[in-house]
Amino acid sequence: MGMDIGSTASKCVIMKNGREIAAQSVVPLGTGTSGPERSLEGVLKESGLSQEDIALTAATGYGRNSIPQAKLSFSELSCHAKGACWLFPAVRTVIDIGGQDVKALTILNGRLDQFVMNDKCAAGTGRFLEVMAHVLDKELSEMPELDARSKNRVDISSTCTVFAESEVISQLAQGVDICDLVAGIHRSVARRAASLVKRLGIIEPLFLTGGVAQNSGVVRALEKELGLTVRTDPRAQLAGAIGAALLAWEQIREEE
Amino acid sequence: MAELNKQEIKPAKIRLKEIAEKATQDAWEAKKRGEKIGWCASNFPQEIPTTLGIHVVYPENHGAAIGAKGGGQRMCEHAEGLGYSSDICSYARINFAYADLKECPELNIPQPDFLLCCNNICNCLIKWYENLAFQLDIPLILIDIPRLDAFECDQDRIKYIRAQFDDCIRRLEEITGKKWDEERFKEVMAISQRSSKAWLKAVDYMKYVPSPFSGFDIFNNMAVACVARGTLEGAEAFEQLAREYEENVKNGTSTFKVKEEYRVLFEGIACWAHLSYTFKTLKNFGINVTSTIYGPAFSFLYQNLDELMAAYSYVPNCNIFEREVELRVKDAIKNKVDGAIIHMNRSCKKWSGNLYELERQLREQAGIPTVMFDGDQSDPRAFSEAQYLTRVQGLVEIMAANKRQKEEQNRE
Amino acid sequence: MNKMEKILDELRFISTHPKQQLEQYLAAGKKVVGCLPYYCPEELVAAAGMVPFGLWGAEIQVSEAKRYFPSFICSILQTTLELGIKGEFDRLTAVMIPILCDSLKGMEANWRYGVKKVPVINVAHAQNRKMQAGLEFTVSQYRKIKKQLEKLAETPITDRAIAVAIKTYNEQRGVMRRFLAAAGKHPELISFADRNAVVKSSYFMDAASHTAKVRELADLLEQAPESKHQGPKVVISGITADYSGLIKIFDDCQIAVVDDQLTQGSLRFRFDVPLTADPIVGLAEQIGQIEGCPVLFDPGKQRGQMLIDLVKQSEAQGVIFVQTKFCDPEEFDYVPLKSMLDKEGIPSLLLEGDKQTTNYEQARTAVETFCEILG
Repeated sequence: MGMDIGSTASKCVIMKNGREIAAQSVVPLGTGTSGPERSLEGVLKESGLSQEDIALTAATGYGRNSIPQAKLSFSELSCHAKGACWLFPAVRTVIDIGGQDVKALTILNGRLDQFVMNDKCAAGTGRFLEVMAHVLDKELSEMPELDARSKNRVDISSTCTVFAESEVISQLAQGVDICDLVAGIHRSVARRAASLVKRLGIIEPLFLTGGVAQNSGVVRALEKELGLTVRTDPRAQLAGAIGAALLAWEQIREEE
Repeated sequence: MAELNKQEIKPAKIRLKEIAEKATQDAWEAKKRGEKIGWCASNFPQEIPTTLGIHVVYPENHGAAIGAKGGGQRMCEHAEGLGYSSDICSYARINFAYADLKECPELNIPQPDFLLCCNNICNCLIKWYENLAFQLDIPLILIDIPRLDAFECDQDRIKYIRAQFDDCIRRLEEITGKKWDEERFKEVMAISQRSSKAWLKAVDYMKYVPSPFSGFDIFNNMAVACVARGTLEGAEAFEQLAREYEENVKNGTSTFKVKEEYRVLFEGIACWAHLSYTFKTLKNFGINVTSTIYGPAFSFLYQNLDELMAAYSYVPNCNIFEREVELRVKDAIKNKVDGAIIHMNRSCKKWSGNLYELERQLREQAGIPTVMFDGDQSDPRAFSEAQYLTRVQGLVEIMAANKRQKEEQNRE
Repeated sequence: MNKMEKILDELRFISTHPKQQLEQYLAAGKKVVGCLPYYCPEELVAAAGMVPFGLWGAEIQVSEAKRYFPSFICSILQTTLELGIKGEFDRLTAVMIPILCDSLKGMEANWRYGVKKVPVINVAHAQNRKMQAGLEFTVSQYRKIKKQLEKLAETPITDRAIAVAIKTYNEQRGVMRRFLAAAGKHPELISFADRNAVVKSSYFMDAASHTAKVRELADLLEQAPESKHQGPKVVISGITADYSGLIKIFDDCQIAVVDDQLTQGSLRFRFDVPLTADPIVGLAEQIGQIEGCPVLFDPGKQRGQMLIDLVKQSEAQGVIFVQTKFCDPEEFDYVPLKSMLDKEGIPSLLLEGDKQTTNYEQARTAVETFCEILG
């Protein structure tokens, strides 16, 4: 089993023989809440297994060191690298946009080669999108569809989340179309991620993981920013948990 | 004579714009001829390259121009993609991007064969130019001017600066093959003095109530004070500028096109990337900028070599704090300002490090209200229109109340 | 090993209780002169019979200093100013403030207006430090400082006294080099926390006392059996790595710091002051010899090659840059240095430290990942 306990969500997967996902669970509550426990219960329930049936559990993410069931813990970078490779075997560069983190990784021979993480602040993370969605009085899930209807994207220039909030409010007050603002917000996130990954040097193919990968608006904006195809997978949010499970699997194989 | 008159017909600000552009053009042409050209720090003793007949361009000005023309974010992001932190000066980031890309749509300057650095305004320039020297594998000459620890520049500093000045000349002779000429040097010094005095005189017209020009014009006109103050054309254009302002005073006109309700000191570098917004907001309230540091900043007055060396230590950000305060306070009082707007520039640690105390001293010694806003010289992302407007509005309310109170007192 | 633990305990205590050290000196009737980053002529202070005391910030939150410094000035200076404003340094005889970076250039005025009680001695070094004129300038500044110190100490400073101080400090440098080399070979005995404590305590003790203790440590370490430590071998580079949160992570991850290129570290002891007829000239010459520091003019980027050499000589597997948040010189240096390391195939990691940060979880993830990569 792999558990990815992040700041805003707890993700668990059970993998069979290191090859298939037997069960998965995502709970939108992170470390320090009931999220991890609920996610664990959820994935056991779905698989019909009990904790004793699990050969080895590895944890990753912000809350990785507070899970009693996990005998192993790995950094989320190694796990996202591993998970991304499983989801997309040809991958060379991974961007992970999480709740409060943005990371870029390069893969070499199926392993993590180099990485870089965002500096200082919330801009460009899932948190930024949450704040902006709140300002617009929309659900996060509505954002991709609003973006798709945008005709005249309005750029948000501020790098500071607080300044950006005030910019968006200002634009709303002037009667700017919400769809155009959402497109601008997505572009902001894409620009931050693009800037980060360029520091590493991009080698294609590029794969996007993390909760924000489910936002097709951000994916499209990122493709535009980088001028290349950005691949993702509906299971991209599980990349960390998958990676952790695979690393646990490898550990068992080594011991045998 | 006819030629001269033709030049006179052009307003000074057009002439100045052309002179600034010509300086870059001349460098391009020199490069094409196979001459070595350099990138030069804004407050480097220009007397040296000018006397040697060497063409240089100024990355800081380039960064300002790119910021003003809307390329700041793109270039900063490119530099950040190279690994540079967004914490460092945006002129440096833009320049690193340019050194990598070799071109940009806003404005192109020729690539350097050598670098002339002077840290009188900041030590950030030393790191910036070190990196350029390494990246481009070209020679770097540094004239180190240690920040003053007294009101006057001391003999030890003068001696040190002088030795570096001479060393720079020798090294440039080697690098470019040009030869130093003492007569030409005397000529350049004379022209530079004429130019500096003319610039100071023009800027000084701000003291009139109402001012015969819009303070923001300084941000455009000063390019020549940085890149071409050792030229005859530059001196003449500044003299023409002064004459135009004299005319305006006589006629009661101004390049500030609305009624001057309030007069302010603008402290700091312009927000090049938001020049229009920062100006229009003030204009809408009838606020004219009638005091900035840019008069003295680009006037290097000297009567002998020792004074030339010292002049380059009296630039803003190289002085002892009390002298910096005195410069602002004296100008604010002379130019009868009603308040001050202070730009806390995210890019510039040197200028920002004492800004809070400067603000307090200004309030106390000049007896004026002040506001501070967050911005950046060439990175558009560190500025908030809403914040600027709110703060300017707050200042206006205080200045209005002060005005009313004064009028009431006058009536009594 | 008991002996070693005892000495380490003492130095650990001193490095984490500088206030108590200060009180001791003051109680003994000594005059103490604060020395801000990065280089101060401590020998001149010692020659005047006074005690130089390093002021490199503290892990506290800043509130008073915010009236002087905006948020984007480094926490080393912010926290030092904070303590100053709160009166913690009121009984210092003076503080020395160099102008080696833009933030330091602003520190002097903020200190004078914010701290008021403690007089400032400006320390201006020539950046063109290898040029004869640069050397002469630094000499002139040191002579000026000497006069100011004489006035404060109410005693003349003789050339002989300076020469004696230089000898004492060179002895300290030599012993510290021995200790650091031995510590690099024995990560199982000297954690990074201890290594940092030995360095840091040198800022709060007179050189002779510090040297005596470190000499014992070096002797013991050099006799210890070969290390069997398994953790990844790393060279740490930067101005300072004195961030307890980061230090704990390095030790938790079993990282062996085999060498360092830290200004508040090996660089402090790497270059002896040459013995010259006029001792002040020797002091100035030393500034011209220091390499590998981000705030000293380095047109050939020698810091990069030096770092590569350190990695190769110590057989390190990688480099960790510990960068102080908002530090311009380090941010500029990072790009060419990283590209030089990349060319040599030396893996590197960039971490940010801040005196006000209490939670380094993101750094922990990065360090653990780096260790996983180093394998």
